[in-house]
Amino acid sequence: MPNTPSSTLAIELRAVSRRFADPGGRTVGVHPTSLIVPQGEIHGIIGFSGAGKSTLLRLVNLLERPDAGEVIVHGNTLTRLSAAGLRQARHRIGMIFQHFNLLHNLTVADNVALPMRIAGADPAHIRERVQVCLDFVGLAEKADVYPGRLSGGQKQRVAIARALAPEPHVLLADEPTSALDPRTTLDLLGVLADANRRFGVTILLVSHEMEVIRRLCHRVSVMEGGHIVEQLDIADGRIPEGSQLASWLSDFGAVGPAASPSPATRPDEAATPHHFALEAAHA
Amino acid sequence: MLETLIELAPEILKATGETLLMLAICLSAAIVIGGALGLLVFLTSRGQSLERFRAFNLIANGVINVVRSFPFIILLVAISPFTRVIAGTSIGPLAASVPLSIAAIFYFARLIEQTLRDLPRGVIEAAEAMGASPFQIIRHVLLVEARSGLVLAVTVLAVSFLSYSAVAGVVGGGGIGDLAIRYGYYRFQTDVMVITIVLLIILVQSVQFFGQWAARRVDKR
Repeated sequence: MPNTPSSTLAIELRAVSRRFADPGGRTVGVHPTSLIVPQGEIHGIIGFSGAGKSTLLRLVNLLERPDAGEVIVHGNTLTRLSAAGLRQARHRIGMIFQHFNLLHNLTVADNVALPMRIAGADPAHIRERVQVCLDFVGLAEKADVYPGRLSGGQKQRVAIARALAPEPHVLLADEPTSALDPRTTLDLLGVLADANRRFGVTILLVSHEMEVIRRLCHRVSVMEGGHIVEQLDIADGRIPEGSQLASWLSDFGAVGPAASPSPATRPDEAATPHHFALEAAHA
Repeated sequence: MLETLIELAPEILKATGETLLMLAICLSAAIVIGGALGLLVFLTSRGQSLERFRAFNLIANGVINVVRSFPFIILLVAISPFTRVIAGTSIGPLAASVPLSIAAIFYFARLIEQTLRDLPRGVIEAAEAMGASPFQIIRHVLLVEARSGLVLAVTVLAVSFLSYSAVAGVVGGGGIGDLAIRYGYYRFQTDVMVITIVLLIILVQSVQFFGQWAARRVDKR
């Protein structure tokens, strides 16, 4: 297949697969699966544990090497790059993690500066970007603090600032709110939606929390047993009736906080779903 | 005992100087060569960024284990032909520094590898996702996040090799251990033995105290 760089596609996975044995000896991972995410979209991946969501996400920046298939990010076929070429491409792919993965021996500002130092940016530019990104996540006054003194939500904000600092085309988010309480989760979803709106960064987000997907994403891919079994447009914050996702919600209820509104969720929010991406579209 | 102390003061000073010289040489060799070896063994282990060089990992692990299997005094004697080639002699503190350095290099390589293994995998993975090269991972992640562990590893190394250097006294290596053997052991001068032991205790306590203080200072976790 010819490699046709497209200016409108942020992420393209072509029949990628990655299989491995989990600690229990079962074969898990991703079956040959394709996924297309247009530029500027916030795309969610939801599914139960072991469905292959995180593996699929990690295939995008080749933290997992696919057994077969092609990974194209911003017109760049990553699976054909040399090690040095891949490192270059990764400079423009941000990533945030469930457990933040900040360096505890670096200050907040140095954490945010790290990806740009790795990319070899000049110091004046780094200083400017650190300032801009810390302002953006509202933590400018914490620049000289060490992460050990921050709350979980603040740590994830620093991680977001760090991921945005090198002006990435794509932001990969691996269960970014799963270690946070519901109130903090809402705040962070606001930050992510804002990043998408202000900087136009495409976001691919993995979560097992229905509420996170529903409030933030324009589209969602539903994964089961290593396959994408369904793709839905949820930009209006509603799960289409008759979909697999809707039936999971009624079967299990507890896929996420949706079925059991947490104490931190205000009653009016529970009644009319507040959708960050929708709000962004009207802004 | 005071008389002995005054009488032997020049000898004690000289011996302390020799011990510090041996320590300086073998610690430097261990930190530079052993540190690099430990880093490489860690990076080539399963799941790390240089995993494709696993063959190196297996060989280096084997060599480290073999060298560490030798009782130090046997190593000292076994490599004495090599020592003569390097130092030109097989007695005195410089000669003793050769086997000390070899033992310290492999001892420290293992210490470093184990210290690095305690780092959370996620931090290294975050750096890989940023496009960091293996060298950048060493410089920006491993040496930063593991630095208090590394300081403690150097502390353990210094204390261990202070006592190893005393063993070198058996074969005329010089230093405080040599003093203890010549006067305290062969001549049954218990007071000299006590002086040397007190001296070693003071050295060990200082090293340990300073090491822990420095490790706490650099640890911001």
